[in-house]
Amino acid sequence: MKKTGMIAAVFGLALAATTAMAEHPGKESIAKSGYKGPETCEECHPGSAKGFMDTVHWKHASKVTNVDGVDPKKEYGMKNRIYVMCNGNDIVNNLKEIPKSPVTGKSKFTGCNTCHPGNHLSDVGSTGPEAEAAVDCLVCHSTDYDFRQRKASKNEKGQVVMGQDRSTKAALAIGKPTVKNCMVCHEAAGGGVIVKRGFSFTKDTDAHAAKGMVCVDCHKAKNHKIPTGHDPNNWANDNVFISCSDTSCHGGKPHKDADLNRHSAKVACQTCHIPRTGGAFAKDFTVWEQTPDKFYEPTTLKKEANETTPVYAWYNGTVKNTPHFIGPKGSRMDGKSKISPFKIFQGKAFYNKQTGELLSMDFAQPMSNGDTRAGVLSAAKTLGMKDPEKVAKEAVAGWQTIYFGSNHLVTKSKALFCANCHAPNGVLNFKDLGYSDKEIVRLTSPELFMKKLAEKQKEEW
Amino acid sequence: MKKAVSVMVLVAVAALSILCFSGIASAGEEIKMVGVITKIDIAGKDAKTATATLKDNKTEALVVITVNDDLTLDKFKDHRIVEGDEIRCKYETIDGKNVSKLFRKTAGC
Repeated sequence: MKKTGMIAAVFGLALAATTAMAEHPGKESIAKSGYKGPETCEECHPGSAKGFMDTVHWKHASKVTNVDGVDPKKEYGMKNRIYVMCNGNDIVNNLKEIPKSPVTGKSKFTGCNTCHPGNHLSDVGSTGPEAEAAVDCLVCHSTDYDFRQRKASKNEKGQVVMGQDRSTKAALAIGKPTVKNCMVCHEAAGGGVIVKRGFSFTKDTDAHAAKGMVCVDCHKAKNHKIPTGHDPNNWANDNVFISCSDTSCHGGKPHKDADLNRHSAKVACQTCHIPRTGGAFAKDFTVWEQTPDKFYEPTTLKKEANETTPVYAWYNGTVKNTPHFIGPKGSRMDGKSKISPFKIFQGKAFYNKQTGELLSMDFAQPMSNGDTRAGVLSAAKTLGMKDPEKVAKEAVAGWQTIYFGSNHLVTKSKALFCANCHAPNGVLNFKDLGYSDKEIVRLTSPELFMKKLAEKQKEEW
Repeated sequence: MKKAVSVMVLVAVAALSILCFSGIASAGEEIKMVGVITKIDIAGKDAKTATATLKDNKTEALVVITVNDDLTLDKFKDHRIVEGDEIRCKYETIDGKNVSKLFRKTAGC
């Protein structure tokens, strides 16, 4: 056997051994005693359920310090935010049985907090022993979860309860979350698969997935606090963040080429390595379309992953937040910003005629009969607004533009190269990015890369 | 006589070729549809293929879709996709089978 073959074999064996070691211990005990919910997990992980109460995945909110116009003492997230990708939130669009369709006489359960890992009786942000006992550990940690169990229904008191698979069979398949576990909720956010974030995490669409990595390899949790990036529209966070340049990942000088490494001071990795995006690019919450089941959904325009192009802007991690715009702040001169790619989304919804603020919507009424103003009225009542009938009646339609962070669909082979940016028809609009006409002439000339790429071309051919 | 035999051989070869390449020949263009699942047939946890019958929202015709991709098969196995779900589907007809190229629930949250 050749030396390389030997190395590969040894590496393979080591990998296999690691995988075997990754088997979650304690299964014999679960098999013997059965699974009783979090109390079973707590036998080996004491305090986990209580700790979980203080995470974004349970609270759907956190303090937010980088966004204009928010109170730094309050918590924000899908629990209470109002913006045009969702327009509802956990409070106004709480999981419930919607009014019956006037056409079919049928109802259904729906709500923003459908994905919350509790049982709905203990819901977003709840605390205490009852909440701790209600955590659905297995929906994130089992690879053999039966999703027929995770359905909303009404109990004998008429309360809406979210079911859970607490079978021993599911518990025997526990481990660190797989891509599937995360995607159960994250792939269909915003009204359907790929709609909100515009990416799929498969070997065909993402270089990390192609290497067999899973979500939590980058979003490496500690005590269920999951690090995230700095997406201008993803406000809630566990106060832990990830970056491609973390030393455990790509480091500060990821390329062999010094010129490329020099770029990383002013250009985010994503700019070159995530050249495409996808998902919904426009939605209208003022007009809902009737679907074949005779319920209604917001009118949505969307594309597949990798079918749309991002827009590029300077981003220093802070966010402009107005009723008509949510997006990155930054400039080439502030010393903190990098040119970053964003998925552009525009949504139409109702605004308060008196204050100009964006209004939120309870989806129950419009989903049943298409009456969107009834949804605004219900939300206004839930939020305790003054004269909700007047607010709903006078509400005016308007658009909001949102810049979503573009942090997945990573590619190495299709990454942008010199001429994709440094050309008159390049993807970067240097004028919008704050460069002078004179600078633009220099920045879009092949003079910058001619010699280097000519050499490379010779090597390749 | 010789000529007739030659013609027959030629015809036979041509017919055989068509039969051999019928998979390619019958592969149609991609068809898009949205419909509700009326039936899922999957043979156990290790199945590498399954069929789902969709009722086309536009025509109300029942269309049997063959699903081979691991991601969708996994969703059948753990019941993330079940009968009654509405599906956005792209498929191609290959060897008489409607083979799924995209199979997604329309619903989200």
